[in-house]
Amino acid sequence: MVVENSCYAGKILTVDLSKKEGKRQKIGDSFALKYLGGDGFGAYFLNKLVPGDADAFGKDNVLIMAPGLLVGTAVPTAGKTAFFAKSPLTGGWGEGVMGGRIGHALKQAGYDALIITGMADEPSYLLVDDDEVMIKSASHLWGKSTRETADEIKRDEENVIVASIGLGGEKKVRYAVIDSDERQAGRGGLGAVMGSKNLKAIAIRGSKDIKVADPKKMMELLDKWYKIMVGSPAFNDDGKYGTGEFLEWMNAERGTFPTRNWREGVFDERKEIDPYYWAPKYSIKNKACTQCVKPCGKAFVIKGKYEGELDGIEYETLFALGSNCGNASVESVAKANELCDLYGIDTISAGGAIGFAMDLYENNILSRKEADMDLSFGNSDAVVKMVEKIVHREEIGDVLAEGVKRAAEKIGKEAEKYAVHVRGMEPPAYDVRGIKGMGLAFMSSPRGACHLRSGAYSLELTGKFWKYEGVDRFSADDKGQEISDMEDFMAVYDTLGVCKFSRGLFLLEGFADILEAAIGKRMDENGLLAIGERINNLKHIFNINCGWTKEDSKLPPKVRNPIPKGVAKGSFISEKEEKKMLQDYFEARGWDKKGIPKEKKIKELELEEFMES
Amino acid sequence: MFVKAIPEKCSGCMMCEIVCSMHHWDVVNEKKSGIRVERKGVTEDIPHLCTHGKDCSFECIDACKFDAMKKENGQVYVDYDKCTGCRLCEKACPIDAVWIFEKKAYKCDLCGGDPMCVKYCSQNALEIVEG
Repeated sequence: MVVENSCYAGKILTVDLSKKEGKRQKIGDSFALKYLGGDGFGAYFLNKLVPGDADAFGKDNVLIMAPGLLVGTAVPTAGKTAFFAKSPLTGGWGEGVMGGRIGHALKQAGYDALIITGMADEPSYLLVDDDEVMIKSASHLWGKSTRETADEIKRDEENVIVASIGLGGEKKVRYAVIDSDERQAGRGGLGAVMGSKNLKAIAIRGSKDIKVADPKKMMELLDKWYKIMVGSPAFNDDGKYGTGEFLEWMNAERGTFPTRNWREGVFDERKEIDPYYWAPKYSIKNKACTQCVKPCGKAFVIKGKYEGELDGIEYETLFALGSNCGNASVESVAKANELCDLYGIDTISAGGAIGFAMDLYENNILSRKEADMDLSFGNSDAVVKMVEKIVHREEIGDVLAEGVKRAAEKIGKEAEKYAVHVRGMEPPAYDVRGIKGMGLAFMSSPRGACHLRSGAYSLELTGKFWKYEGVDRFSADDKGQEISDMEDFMAVYDTLGVCKFSRGLFLLEGFADILEAAIGKRMDENGLLAIGERINNLKHIFNINCGWTKEDSKLPPKVRNPIPKGVAKGSFISEKEEKKMLQDYFEARGWDKKGIPKEKKIKELELEEFMES
Repeated sequence: MFVKAIPEKCSGCMMCEIVCSMHHWDVVNEKKSGIRVERKGVTEDIPHLCTHGKDCSFECIDACKFDAMKKENGQVYVDYDKCTGCRLCEKACPIDAVWIFEKKAYKCDLCGGDPMCVKYCSQNALEIVEG
């Protein structure tokens, strides 16, 4: 028995917003062991429930929330919950992972996943109160920020944890986020899917016990891993400076910090946005995800012109709203970050879109009149103003709210040359011209340009991780197997709900004991990797059903321009390298030359039910 | 002895609530934990827990009509054979450090002298004060 007397809640809740009804289904051992939880459940149900031709904003799209398997246990850093839907930004696999307590609350309410189908006919919020499900009016909340929405619901309903959307989700900004506890399911526009369903928030009151198979063993393992984590060298730096801790290294030592819409890989004014500068000044304390013992979040408080409060600023945001816009004012980055959080839009995509508009402005493709402001790189006020314009969908903001890919198509006039995206997703802060494996990772990631599906940036940038050594970031050789392995590795983390910043500690071996204590079943590295591989294939199958072809997996034109300065100077990705890496990846995955999984692979992974031959 | 909370250091990670309920009840359920963290906005994470007489005059013991709230060696704890969950202790506590869940009172009992919450607070937001 795996599901009983373990950290599985044992049930999945499906709520149909159109019919206003909830249904519960039990999960069995074989299903649980095949997909584990979190990412695995998301991959299974999205494939089962959403037809490939579904409109991301239509009633056929489904929103799934699934906490990782170890969420709600005493395993340190296992606090991650994922949301899934067809992405309005990429038109394919959509997935956003967050910290915060919402997944923990869902497990306490007795569910391993929540599936939301249909559409509400008026602004509503969903209340899951242990065994009861209610759809309540949210007309009084419509238009309110993510934070206000959560606060108001908490005033009306005692002891609930809330995930909410802001104006961004309501206005269907294609990169709107879902926010809970100031943490975001950030990428791919899942907040806009909520908005399209008239669903302002999900509130959960859970009061049940979360059990584990062996509580005594679990406490011993907590003790062991707690000591390892708190004693690790990264503990102090992450604690003081957060995820931006390696910003200087990324610029000076690696030369791959994308700057001014990917013109350069070094941001000269970086000292101004480096947390070594701003953390002592503006960070008043650490903020953690649930179960985290080495928090990277910071409570950032700022007074004066850009007055605000936020949990940040993350490394990716320092790039997106900072260097990518040539913005050297950390105060402006903070304000824009706060607005993104309150309105509920993704800082990476927002910064990608604003940097893109600035590039067009400087290249005379976007006029002063169209921009309605001076959009030169480095205009700190413009970055803040443009966030407002995007969420209110005013003028050029309305175009940028569609994401860089659609904006470039609409603007025309060679705008596509400046559009930095992969399959519609604006990339995070890794200039792939000098990190070629990450170039492949952006192409192969099921959700478009993404650093976290593979997490291969640290391997590429340091040359070693896990079973890999001597990896050359400037080479396009031997990347297929590497990225495919890393994706399977990371899918395990997403499935278990463990933070990827723990990847160097647990690796995969650490999970055998943990799973034994949590669900009474040991799984070794190979067993876990097989599940990771299954999940990645399932996500890819979803994309294929949505119409993906290998021509869609391509890098933006800017990767052909050599990096102009810094230690990565001269490096770029040629068309030949790009194609070779992708073909190597297909081969490593056991897919054919067009990137379609071969029958043998599908059989091996027991995914026959998802793939028509 | 009591555990002193330092809200300015608390990151809101819930580990104290998790280890407390695991240690006492073998499950994770912060409603059964003897410490709870109130999260307000971005900046406030406020741990609430009993200070065993430092901030009160043992009102919970006086209020209890069932002799379920007891003091031994300066530590106040709940006798679960006697507790009825009547809420009198919860109402009497001046620092909101006792709460009722499913007809039982929950509060800090100092884990017999080695408080788990202090042991696993990575931010040093909880400190043991002797005396």
